[in-house]
Amino acid sequence: MKRLSFGKSFTFLLMCLLAFIMLYPFAFMINTSFKSKAQFFGAPGHSLLSWQKVFTALPVGRQLINSTIVCAGAILIILAVSSLAGFALAKLTFRLSPIFFLGIVGAMLIPLQSIIIPAYINASHLHLLTGYWGAILLYSALGTPFATFLMTSYFRGLPDDLIEAAVVDGLSYTAVFRKIALPLAIPALVTIVVLQFIQIWDDLLVGLLFLQNQDYRTITVGLGALAAGRTTDIPVLMAGSIISAIPAIIVYLIFQKQLVNGLTAGIGK
Amino acid sequence: MALSVVSKQSSLHRQRRKTGFLFSLPALGLVGAFLGIPIYQALYFSMTKWDGIIAEWIGPSTYINQFKSPIFWRVIENNALLLLAVPVAIILPMGIAYVLNDKIAGWKIFRTIYFLPTAISWVVIGMVAMRFFAQEGLLNDLLKGIGLGFIKTDLLSSERGALLAVGITFIWSMVGTNSIIFLTGMATLDISLYEAARMDGASSFRIFRSITLPQLKRFIQFSFIITVISAFTALFTLIFVMTGGGPGFGTTTLEFFVYQSAFSRGNFGTGAMLGVILFFIMAILGSAQLLLVRNKE
Repeated sequence: MKRLSFGKSFTFLLMCLLAFIMLYPFAFMINTSFKSKAQFFGAPGHSLLSWQKVFTALPVGRQLINSTIVCAGAILIILAVSSLAGFALAKLTFRLSPIFFLGIVGAMLIPLQSIIIPAYINASHLHLLTGYWGAILLYSALGTPFATFLMTSYFRGLPDDLIEAAVVDGLSYTAVFRKIALPLAIPALVTIVVLQFIQIWDDLLVGLLFLQNQDYRTITVGLGALAAGRTTDIPVLMAGSIISAIPAIIVYLIFQKQLVNGLTAGIGK
Repeated sequence: MALSVVSKQSSLHRQRRKTGFLFSLPALGLVGAFLGIPIYQALYFSMTKWDGIIAEWIGPSTYINQFKSPIFWRVIENNALLLLAVPVAIILPMGIAYVLNDKIAGWKIFRTIYFLPTAISWVVIGMVAMRFFAQEGLLNDLLKGIGLGFIKTDLLSSERGALLAVGITFIWSMVGTNSIIFLTGMATLDISLYEAARMDGASSFRIFRSITLPQLKRFIQFSFIITVISAFTALFTLIFVMTGGGPGFGTTTLEFFVYQSAFSRGNFGTGAMLGVILFFIMAILGSAQLLLVRNKE
């Protein structure tokens, strides 16, 4: 009995050590952001200087708004097209629907880097790089395959009788989708929102290329550009990091369960 | 009367098919326009000399020339070396999930903490990691702190060292994701088997190997796929922020090389070709995985 509890406390300590390793970067970020450049290099004490400087180094307010616009636009498009397609492919099957399903969901296998160059040139020909639209549309296209997969599996769980009964009662399929299927699918829709929010909010590559106008940059892109510019003012970068990370951390803490559901949805039965 | 029921039925069926077709068009159109067409364009442009404006047709010899380039093989070698991180990024989380599944004190808090990096951008992770591994960074402070100050590391200044630093950071950020996958898997385990095995006097290790592992197969496969895909396609940002692909080509992976060729050097044709090669590597790995799963079942 004694040996067992020794083993248990040892494992517990090991888990604490691991938690420390996982949390250390956050502690470092917070601690460093409250130092001036000189204090970072060894001078004692803390200050708010870096938190003042970050607002001139990065147009924080503007970029947070940009991140919100890009995320909201892309997520709305993903929700619209994936719930429609998911309902159709699960419940309104037609001759080509297996091919449509393969075409949409199979695109998950295409790595972003494989299409980004032609997609970039196409978007530049269509004048989509100067505003938000290029990034919003590419993020939408990248999120749609998995979202459609999720929605199709979700709608497959709805009983056919439910839909047929409503149709026999005189409802059109569009009305069935809007009034019956969609309200029932809210948990799946929330999972998609959480998953996509974190993905798009945290992304660098698409934003770096598709948001050419500096005034349209998201916070993550702004921060990435600042960091790659070999800025030596680490405390300022850390303050910026904290600002950029907070919205995603809040969403994570509230919607952890949905995030886990979304992550493990691909395992199947 | 019977006829009108039949015709109403068939008109309903027609309406259903038509609605289904119309409903799935927007998704197909979006994916086709932004992912489907570009992958075909990439295939075409991969055989051209292209500066982003004028593309001059060259043919499949572009691939042969690339395969003759030592830099290309250096990049592939980097990718291969990064794959060495995959087993660690799977086995470590498996142990963590095993412990958490025993519902040790505070397991919910531990779970939340380990999974936290999932919410954090690679930009932020890369910036902190850079400070951690730097010559005047935390790693050396830590070594000094535990009396190992004579081992003064400077990982980011050597090619292999920088790759090691990228690999360690990659593992750090994958631990949570894979732990969650295994934790989900362990929640589905058949408890009666454990009781039977304990009654028969099987050791913990024996139980883990003969009962837990086989039941977790599906989850191990899933986490393997996710980790390999991430190793090939999710590290652009980390490398961009942490090392810029250097020193030399020390941390240039295939996905980073795509970006570098096109957007730093203006060789859009080469970039497109590297993207196509990446696509085929992922497709081959994907189908190999699928084949393995099919054969075993």
